[in-house]
Amino acid sequence: MAAALAASLPAPASAPAPAAPTYEAIPPSMSTAIDIEAEIPLTCVQLDAMVVTKIVQHGREAPSASAHGLLLGLDLDGILEVSNSFPLPSQTSEEDDKSPKSIARYQASMLRSLKEVQGDDNVVGFYQATTLGAFFDRTLVDTQAIHQERLRHGGVVVVHDVSQTARGNASFRGFRLTSSFMDAYKKGNFSSSSLMARRLKFSSILEEIPVRVRTNALASAFLERLVAPGLGAYTTRQLAEGEMPGLGGSFSVLGLGQSGVSRSLELVSEAIDSYRTEDGNVAYLTRQITREKLRAETYVAKRKEENVQRVAQGLSPLPEEDVSRLFKVPGEPSRLESMLLLGQVDAYAKSMESLAGIALVNMYGARGGGVYL
Amino acid sequence: MSLTVHPTALLSILDHYVRRTDVQHRVIGTLLGTRTPTSTPSPSIPTVVNVTHAFAVLHSETEEQVAVDGDYHRAMYEMFLKGRGESIVPSGTAGAGVGVGPQGKEGLSIVGWYATGSSEGSPAGLGTFSALIQNFYEQETTPFPAVHLALDTGTEEGVGAGVRAYISSPIGVYPKAENCVFVPIPCELKFHEFERSGLDLLLASSSTPSNTFLPTSPLPALHTALVGTSDALNRVLAHVQGILCGEIPPDPALGKYLWTVLGAAHDEEGGWATALQDTVMVSYLANLVRGQAEVAARLALAGGA
Repeated sequence: MAAALAASLPAPASAPAPAAPTYEAIPPSMSTAIDIEAEIPLTCVQLDAMVVTKIVQHGREAPSASAHGLLLGLDLDGILEVSNSFPLPSQTSEEDDKSPKSIARYQASMLRSLKEVQGDDNVVGFYQATTLGAFFDRTLVDTQAIHQERLRHGGVVVVHDVSQTARGNASFRGFRLTSSFMDAYKKGNFSSSSLMARRLKFSSILEEIPVRVRTNALASAFLERLVAPGLGAYTTRQLAEGEMPGLGGSFSVLGLGQSGVSRSLELVSEAIDSYRTEDGNVAYLTRQITREKLRAETYVAKRKEENVQRVAQGLSPLPEEDVSRLFKVPGEPSRLESMLLLGQVDAYAKSMESLAGIALVNMYGARGGGVYL
Repeated sequence: MSLTVHPTALLSILDHYVRRTDVQHRVIGTLLGTRTPTSTPSPSIPTVVNVTHAFAVLHSETEEQVAVDGDYHRAMYEMFLKGRGESIVPSGTAGAGVGVGPQGKEGLSIVGWYATGSSEGSPAGLGTFSALIQNFYEQETTPFPAVHLALDTGTEEGVGAGVRAYISSPIGVYPKAENCVFVPIPCELKFHEFERSGLDLLLASSSTPSNTFLPTSPLPALHTALVGTSDALNRVLAHVQGILCGEIPPDPALGKYLWTVLGAAHDEEGGWATALQDTVMVSYLANLVRGQAEVAARLALAGGA
């Protein structure tokens, strides 16, 4: 890391191409940013302009809401700079493409190729497109858990909400798993006692990291140029007329359509249904545990009683057998699934709430304009 | 023939340019996209090329020679399609007579190449090397003509930022690879309405001094949109007032347009009130569900054992 940083610093003009690599002294202004052991905690995720458009485009083009891909970049002084991204094949493609090996091969060769053209080849996390705030699911948690163990700084997941973007507010949120969740995940222990000990709720699975968007100077100059009306005669006519589907302001948020709300209602009730099912499963398992425990206890009590009788009759007592071998008490059910489902219910409801709030404003706006015309 | 460019392609090119090495005067790469109509080119229907993606390709230029890494280009293209769950349809299968080149399921295919800067002698940046590279890409895109996108980054003295598009046409009695005429074609920026908000985000970030921006919740976006609408209405109002006072000559087309747009809002009897009630109800329900979810989570913690 230090070497990489040193190499990226501008070389002194006088240095006459040294044979052995000489490392420059790190300037004092940067010395606090040198972070070999990844000790500076992440405070912010910074998305490059290109990454923003790539993710938005991928989210729109992907057939289902399953668009996901890898984020590449570097961290510097607590800011995770994401400078590039590429999509990963979606899970729904053909059988042979699904194999993890083929995806790993694809990933490795993509990274190699990007490195050849001086791109960043350091994986820092992944992105996931979602609709209506439904990003809580098992695959996301599993993938992030693997990343958090392997990647420097644990990596982040950037969640991009396609439906919000379509309504005119490009939504990007950064998340990582909390340490208490990671702890429970590593031990594979999601029994209720473990949850209680770690005070885990659906809202404490993920911690949010603020996301910000950065356009580098060149891109920002270029964009400004594109929005500027009346360009010089140099560019082609279309660009010069300032008539490109103008880069100014989106009004799609003002749409009065209620389809979002009804879709969101459907999703909430679906999520509640699956939560109920999962809850039923857990309750069934819990009952089974109680039953087995009860059977084991009665057996032990009966044996003890029998022994007391035998001793009274002057016979040798029967051996107290290992009860756990006779009765298989099933392990306590994992609460992970129901916790995730509850999180999903909450996320859907939250997005529905914000949808309804915006719809209210829109309706009053429409009335103000529409009725008195 | 005309060309549309997606912002992703532009930003990819700019990113590649920023990451060039010291010895590179310009960078080149492959443009991917779709063509309409998709069948073989015919002179009667004008072809529109939609450039949606771009990736960098290794190349080297010296005084005497130019080299493009063809293997790299092919490998990247294959990976690109794979990442989108597409696969290459081998050319020369069904419809071999037409000889359609390799294409993905969504019709993404190689449509041409890009280059930045204007280093190659002439101010337009087009010279013998460009002709040779163009010749290479023509082979990749047959039977369609390859398009060339010249992007001026605006970093060179006297040249503004901009995009130019060309197709090539052979020149001379005996056509040679290094000789061709680059014919300019019209070129415009195009993106899906959905993506506008993403671009708004970028514009918002590029207008701050630090070039960074925190994406916001939906409400500020709503606020901006409302303020924008109000501004636009005021402008229309001022314009109409001007016409009424006789200061501005009226334009029937504009008047007709305003009539249709502003007359579009109808309120059916009681529809508004019902919809309002529904919305309030949904909002209440959403709050209720969230409250219940929170209670359930806490109960699981407290009374699970």
